[in-house]
Amino acid sequence: MTGGGGSSLGASGGSVVHFLLWSAFPNRAAKLAEVDVSGDAMPREALLTRTFVELADTLVADFDVVDLLTRLADRCVDVLDVGAAGLMLAAPDGELRLMASSSETMRLLELFELQSQEGPCLDCYRTGQPVLNQDLATANGRWPRFAPEALAAGFQSVRALPMRLRGTVIGVLNLFHVESGEMRQVDVEAAQAFADVATIAILQHRAALEAQVINEQLQCALNSRIIIEQAKGMVAEREGLDMEQAFRTLRSHARNHNLRLVDVAAFVIDGSLPPSAIDRLPRTEPS
Amino acid sequence: MANSGRRERILSRLVGAGAAALETSRLCDVCADVVNVSGAGIMLMSGDVLRGSLCTTNAVSALIEQLQYGLGEGPCVDAYMQDRPVLEPDLVHPITLRWIAFTQPAVEAGVRAVFGFPLQVGAVRLGALNLYRDRPGSLTDDQHADALVMADIAAQAVLVLQANAPPGRLAAELEKGADFQYVVHQAAGMVAVQLEISVAQALIRLRAHAFGNDRPLAQVADDVVARRLRFDTASGEKDFSQ
Repeated sequence: MTGGGGSSLGASGGSVVHFLLWSAFPNRAAKLAEVDVSGDAMPREALLTRTFVELADTLVADFDVVDLLTRLADRCVDVLDVGAAGLMLAAPDGELRLMASSSETMRLLELFELQSQEGPCLDCYRTGQPVLNQDLATANGRWPRFAPEALAAGFQSVRALPMRLRGTVIGVLNLFHVESGEMRQVDVEAAQAFADVATIAILQHRAALEAQVINEQLQCALNSRIIIEQAKGMVAEREGLDMEQAFRTLRSHARNHNLRLVDVAAFVIDGSLPPSAIDRLPRTEPS
Repeated sequence: MANSGRRERILSRLVGAGAAALETSRLCDVCADVVNVSGAGIMLMSGDVLRGSLCTTNAVSALIEQLQYGLGEGPCVDAYMQDRPVLEPDLVHPITLRWIAFTQPAVEAGVRAVFGFPLQVGAVRLGALNLYRDRPGSLTDDQHADALVMADIAAQAVLVLQANAPPGRLAAELEKGADFQYVVHQAAGMVAVQLEISVAQALIRLRAHAFGNDRPLAQVADDVVARRLRFDTASGEKDFSQ
């Protein structure tokens, strides 16, 4: 049935949705680059602009996702005037895991580690809302274990921004400040843009992996079919059958011996299954 | 900005109102339509092997794909192999003479300009988009940009369609309207037995016969399968069809 959108969401309608989703990623990356290229040339803005262009460029070519996320965490420290930054991703089991960090100091890593149980990242991940301007000195009630640890590590306030994909939060960008006080709105926006770039990077990476797997599957399917057609030709010629009969001969041999059709076909072609060893079909029909 | 606008415009044509499902035939039609050429086709390739034609908009674009399949040369082959667009705005008076076997039959069929664009998603290469026009002339910058985006979308669409297929099988949506020249492979199997050679060698013999007799490969293969043509007679190939 053709018709409206509702009826089209059958077997192949789903692929249209998938297709639109997929196609959206490069689009968003390109848009980020375009929007930010037009930014004013203040030194900090220029740095921000350059960062986005650099990140968007990286997304186009083959890229190492961890390397890119680490670079992104580093840029957060350079551009947003924070003490440390990290990106945590939700694993399939729903637990947050650290993907990249601006520094590998033990104390910082422990702060991320802790957040699988409590902290700004977990709150942000659960609610989908950013955690902004939370001074650690007053956050003991909110995060009884995380807050004292973070203070001891030399940080005064924390922020967490969601990595969002159409209503789903896939991870969190975490910023640690050495001073307390509010983050400028423009910095909050820049931080959210960084979180969006991280989201795009991860999706692009997944899409690229998926593309490779599907392509291999596609080539394999085409190959199998060709091998079967060639084997049909060989059997047809040897046994004086037509293609349909040759196909049924191969298929019945595969079934009788519990083999895959494509394997039987490959054996015929490479000669390891001599014609005399192929099961004959009962000659019921005229040939 | 222009590029993302292009992408959105093409996507909305492809999956917009009235489009029940993503089909390869629609993909080809939109290709030809968006770039405003006489016809389009999508060729699947892997390694250095032409796998066959996924879709074509008309008999001429089907012939363009068949010729390339049979001869192993042409704009799709080059675009895929060289990983870049291959443009021949005037097939009758080309600047560089390439495709010695492909050109004449293509021109006879009314092809005046051909353009090949590689289909790829990241590092994954799938084949090429083939565009032709019945009058000479280059693509405008705008058409060229549309063709690049279209090739990108087509490559993704092929993977998306195949993603729904059961393992080891080609997606039904890809099979529909495709011409994978199965008869050529059946014939290769038969010739391999007739001459006691490998199927790969048999394929070469078939191609050589088609080229030497100035006949389409698929037609030669049809004759072999219908047992009108054998390759194992003492005097070489024997054609029972004449």
